[in-house]
Amino acid sequence: MIHFISKRLKHSLVLLFLASVVCFTLVVSAPGNVAVLIAELRGAASTPGYVEKVAEEIGLNKPLLMRYVDWLGDAVTGDFGISYRTGQTVSADLPQRMMVTGTLIAGSAVIATLLSLLLGFLGAFWPYKLPDRVSRGLALIGASTPTFFVGALMIYGFSVTFQLFPSFGFNGPVSWVLPWLTVAVLPAAVLSRVVRVGLEEAMTSPYVLTAKSKGLGRTAILFREALPNITPVFINALGTQVGLMTATGIIVEPLFAWQGVGDYFLAGVRFRDFMVVQACLLIFLAFFIVVNLIVDLAVLMTDPRIRRQWS
Amino acid sequence: MHDEPLLSVSNLTVDLLTAKSAIRPVDGVSYTVRQGECLAIVGESGSGKTVMNFAPLGLMPTGVTTSLSGSVRFGGRELIGLPEPEIRKIRGKSIGFIFQDPMSALNPVRRIGRQIAEMAELHLNMTPRAAEARALELVKLVGISDPSARLRQYPHELSGGLRQRIVIATALAGEPKLLIADEPTTALDVTVQAQILRLLKDLQRRLNMAMVLITHDMGVVAGAADNIVVMYAARAAERGPVDKVLVTPRHPYTRGLINAIPKREDPIGSQFRGLPGIPPTLGAPFKGCAFAPRCDFAVPTCTASRPPLVPSADGSVFVACPVVNEGRAAA
Repeated sequence: MIHFISKRLKHSLVLLFLASVVCFTLVVSAPGNVAVLIAELRGAASTPGYVEKVAEEIGLNKPLLMRYVDWLGDAVTGDFGISYRTGQTVSADLPQRMMVTGTLIAGSAVIATLLSLLLGFLGAFWPYKLPDRVSRGLALIGASTPTFFVGALMIYGFSVTFQLFPSFGFNGPVSWVLPWLTVAVLPAAVLSRVVRVGLEEAMTSPYVLTAKSKGLGRTAILFREALPNITPVFINALGTQVGLMTATGIIVEPLFAWQGVGDYFLAGVRFRDFMVVQACLLIFLAFFIVVNLIVDLAVLMTDPRIRRQWS
Repeated sequence: MHDEPLLSVSNLTVDLLTAKSAIRPVDGVSYTVRQGECLAIVGESGSGKTVMNFAPLGLMPTGVTTSLSGSVRFGGRELIGLPEPEIRKIRGKSIGFIFQDPMSALNPVRRIGRQIAEMAELHLNMTPRAAEARALELVKLVGISDPSARLRQYPHELSGGLRQRIVIATALAGEPKLLIADEPTTALDVTVQAQILRLLKDLQRRLNMAMVLITHDMGVVAGAADNIVVMYAARAAERGPVDKVLVTPRHPYTRGLINAIPKREDPIGSQFRGLPGIPPTLGAPFKGCAFAPRCDFAVPTCTASRPPLVPSADGSVFVACPVVNEGRAAA
């Protein structure tokens, strides 16, 4: 187990480094010049001379490799530089924003898990009957509706029409409900199909025939025999969905005026705020890697056949 | 009650209906099994031997509509028409099942001890603790070394032979009166087959259970069974005590089967003797004897009407063949 974790962590570090190179390349090759934007922001006329002064001030005129090495050297010590837009250090902005995004993803992951298990089991319990059709219909709608539209619907329905939940802000659980639901819709829809299909496959397997021959009832077979067999598959799919929630957050956070990492990232991209974009991308990547590691460990724990290869 | 056989199947017909097709894999079959007795059901693949035993007990795949007629009496109770919750109480409790492939018959992600113990919890109302103790006893009973360690293991950690012993232990956990073993040795290594068969036979005698042994291995039949039913294309071709049917087979199909067993005198490298032709599909019912097209002795009456099972002179062996039974009246 320890061996497994340390090996995976080593791989993760290499991956993070390679990813940072890719991010850097992408960001510096994006069109637009931050020096022009800063000059405009300061109210000064963006004459070529002044823009050049700004560029020199923030180190844009150094060779690319130098810029990358400088940035990486600081980043490994936790210093992500200074935001061109606000003048604040990025590291000072990040913890609060990570907390916000963490709350969003954690809550949505729990809701998506519960909802998908409920829908999947409803379908598996009454296959091809009404509950299964309803569950499948909901999954189809949920998986094919864009998140920004889901969010707008949520605000319109629960906030404007019925005034049940606030439409913006980060003030305790009541205000978290709508963003959570908005992010959870797509993963819940996708995962409910994973549950439903997995259970159906398990229910036609020989060990379920054995379970039937033992006199177990349908409920006991679904929960005791089939569920443990789809757990590793479900955890894998859940991990992918949780990773993708970082992307959904970029859309949903501004929608509900949450000051999370996604919102930070979006603002950074708009302003060519290289330091912010770079830091956010690295955080997203690190999050993906950590989620993957947790998923692998969870699969290791729920599937004894894989466990043996590593113990 | 004492006189009534534990299991008595009479004129059982099974129709399987799927969305696209309808077949009749069991067509008017009768047999009985008494307590402590072992009945072998032999026949080639698709002859209906598995469906015949599983369908009346509700062990058919989902999505298949099963329609049963005739009678299956077990322990004085009619099973046909019994609602599923009632049949479920019988499965595992009074009737234990052993399956062909122990590699897939056990749940891969659950500990072996749990898979055995849950039977005792369900059918003997044991506490989990008592059930675990019973599981340990059962694992010892089926001759597994290091039993307490085995209970904590998962199926993939055991060999095929050990897994089949676990399947047997599970089947015994509810203290069944009848064991139905569906080709219990087919998926095993040849060296292990004999061990498992000996174990089954030994357990059956010690626990005084009845056993239905579904197989296509004549060696298994000779070694374990008291009586035999030979199935061909959904029907019983011949039925009787093993020592009579195997030694002096009467039905041409049974004769062909026994003749197909390789003999020691056969020269090395000689061809295997098979039966000419292929078995019929079960889609359309036959008017006459289903074996007639492959039979060397067939006469016109064979295809005219369905041959009934007719007892031999001493009344022990029943054969459905108009040629063998010529001049003999149906029972």
